[in-house]
Amino acid sequence: MASLFRSSLRTATAMPRLTQPVSTTSAAAAVRCSGMKNLGIMRQAGMTKKGFHASASRKLLPAGPQVIQGTINDAAEVPDPNAAHGSYHWSFERLISVALIPLTVAPFAAGSINPVTDAILGATIIIHSHIGFESIIIDYIPHRKYPTLRKGSMWALKGATVLVLVGLYEFETNDVGITEAVKRVWKA
Amino acid sequence: MFARSSARITASALPKPFFITRSSLVASQLRPATTTASNSASTQNVSPDDAYTILVAQRKQRPISPHLSIYQPQLTWYGSAANRITGSVLSVGAYGFFAAYAVAPAFGWHLDSATIAAAFSGLPAAAKFGLKFAVALPFSYHSWNGIRHLLWDTGKALDIKDVYRTGYAVLGLTTISTIYLVMI
Repeated sequence: MASLFRSSLRTATAMPRLTQPVSTTSAAAAVRCSGMKNLGIMRQAGMTKKGFHASASRKLLPAGPQVIQGTINDAAEVPDPNAAHGSYHWSFERLISVALIPLTVAPFAAGSINPVTDAILGATIIIHSHIGFESIIIDYIPHRKYPTLRKGSMWALKGATVLVLVGLYEFETNDVGITEAVKRVWKA
Repeated sequence: MFARSSARITASALPKPFFITRSSLVASQLRPATTTASNSASTQNVSPDDAYTILVAQRKQRPISPHLSIYQPQLTWYGSAANRITGSVLSVGAYGFFAAYAVAPAFGWHLDSATIAAAFSGLPAAAKFGLKFAVALPFSYHSWNGIRHLLWDTGKALDIKDVYRTGYAVLGLTTISTIYLVMI
């Protein structure tokens, strides 16, 4: 199969086999014919596809530094099992997401919600957003390639979340609340 | 080439003792001195440190994976990407507003709901519609798809048929609720 993509291999292996003298037995002749047919198909496929790497390269983002850590065959580091980093964290994320359903439905069903429920809605949205931003940072700023940027982004997110929670507190204490404010702006 | 392969076939078809003698004979006949000379490649000893440096240099030349645009657009991963994009749009909006509200007194900004509602009512109808749409669409999609995700988290609807079924359901519900929210 390698001869599909490397013409030097094809001429070295396939061609001599096909140009060998016709043997007297009919079985050998049949083998030779099917071999010729296959080569035709293979060559066609090889010609049309032009190898594996035919897609255009579009550099939308720079590749980032190609960091090498460790030696040739290091085993992958397995983190210590920790429920707080695994199942509890997962369950907490789901809890926040599930809680958002009734909190989102309530203002549509009741027209508006009381200040405490509104504050809980606001806080839940902020926590949900924080988790979401965290996931985005983890996905797109790998620690291996950008250790400083990763740390900086995480701390910037933490700072932003604190500031946003302060803003939420101010809004909830001084203004009409999220649901009522959205309603007023929406109907304005 | 033909002679060599035919000799191999004959040899393998023959009884074992004869095969050994024949193959050794064939091997000695078919390997002339020139071939062995060309096979001996020149090597050089490299210290472990140098070997590591060469390895690092080679690894840094490795190709990186191609961008998303080479993959076939499918409801599965487009829906997943849309979930993240819509969530980000809503969250960036919420963070932006509340962060601005927190620092508003320091800059003398007026971001109270009455001022914003008054400013919004002064906009032309098309702008109102556009802004409502820009909020209603991500909100609708992320809400419905969030429910879809929670359904998946219970271990249900995970085969490809159900993934498409729920995917189309989310698209349909998103369309309906977006139109409803923009109209009210």
